[in-house]
Amino acid sequence: MLEPTLITWILVVFGLLFVFLPMLFIQLLMVLRPHSQKTRDICIGKGEDWRDKTHFRMSFGAGWADLVIWLPLLAAGSIGVLMGQVWGYALWAASGAISVYINIILWFSEREYVYPAYGPLVYYTYFWGFFVYWGVAVVVYSVLRLVTI
Amino acid sequence: MKMLKKEVGRFPVGVWIAIVAILALFLGWGMQAYSLFDWDGALYLGLQNERFTGDAAERAWAQESWGVAMADMLWPLPIGIVALTGILRRRFYGFAAGLMELSIGIYFPLVFAFQRWATYPETVVVAIFLWTIPSLLGIIGLWENREYFDE
Repeated sequence: MLEPTLITWILVVFGLLFVFLPMLFIQLLMVLRPHSQKTRDICIGKGEDWRDKTHFRMSFGAGWADLVIWLPLLAAGSIGVLMGQVWGYALWAASGAISVYINIILWFSEREYVYPAYGPLVYYTYFWGFFVYWGVAVVVYSVLRLVTI
Repeated sequence: MKMLKKEVGRFPVGVWIAIVAILALFLGWGMQAYSLFDWDGALYLGLQNERFTGDAAERAWAQESWGVAMADMLWPLPIGIVALTGILRRRFYGFAAGLMELSIGIYFPLVFAFQRWATYPETVVVAIFLWTIPSLLGIIGLWENREYFDE
């Protein structure tokens, strides 16, 4: 058993509020109503449109993959760590690694388009930054806990 | 699942599967590294599909593919090196890094599949058989042998 610590709780609550719930909402919109104005307002910016088909397909692909792999891993991992289970930390580390990975891709492929519209405060917090901070924190914390078994 | 714990040579079968899956991912990271080094050469070899000199849509795809290649060098490649080193040395950090690496090995081919099924279905099928399925089996193999790792 790996009893949850204060850090565990902070990462679970932060992950739920700023990573899981927003992404679940956005990616459900993305796969269910990909061309609606609401989806575009949230994913790209108020009143904005997809730059081109590439931009749309990239977002659509990530939407499905997040719903099929990343978000279930995150949810199962969070439940597991709160139950004090080793497998919870393993799933959490995997979901953190995916979170960092996709956001490095977005840094190179999307930053130049969205950063000017949102500005540094929004971009480096809830639009992009939180996913990286949470992902790195979860990877480091999970590995540290797993190696103490 | 008992079969995955059966020792064959130096490692249990499940660990061998994970090692092979990680090596398959290294093949992908090698292809991405070569693409960054010589994009035109990668196009010639069929490792990439889009040119930076094509029309606007093709340039956009090329930019996106370049971003993925760069991300692969910065995150999954180092994790893969840590994973392989740790697994070969039978350390727990190798087990943890292996799970992370193989999760990425499942995730990105799926993004690619949903993105490009309409345009490059053959590449999608290759990616799923070369990376997604071995990575999934590798995770199962590692997990079944989690007690095998020290520390």
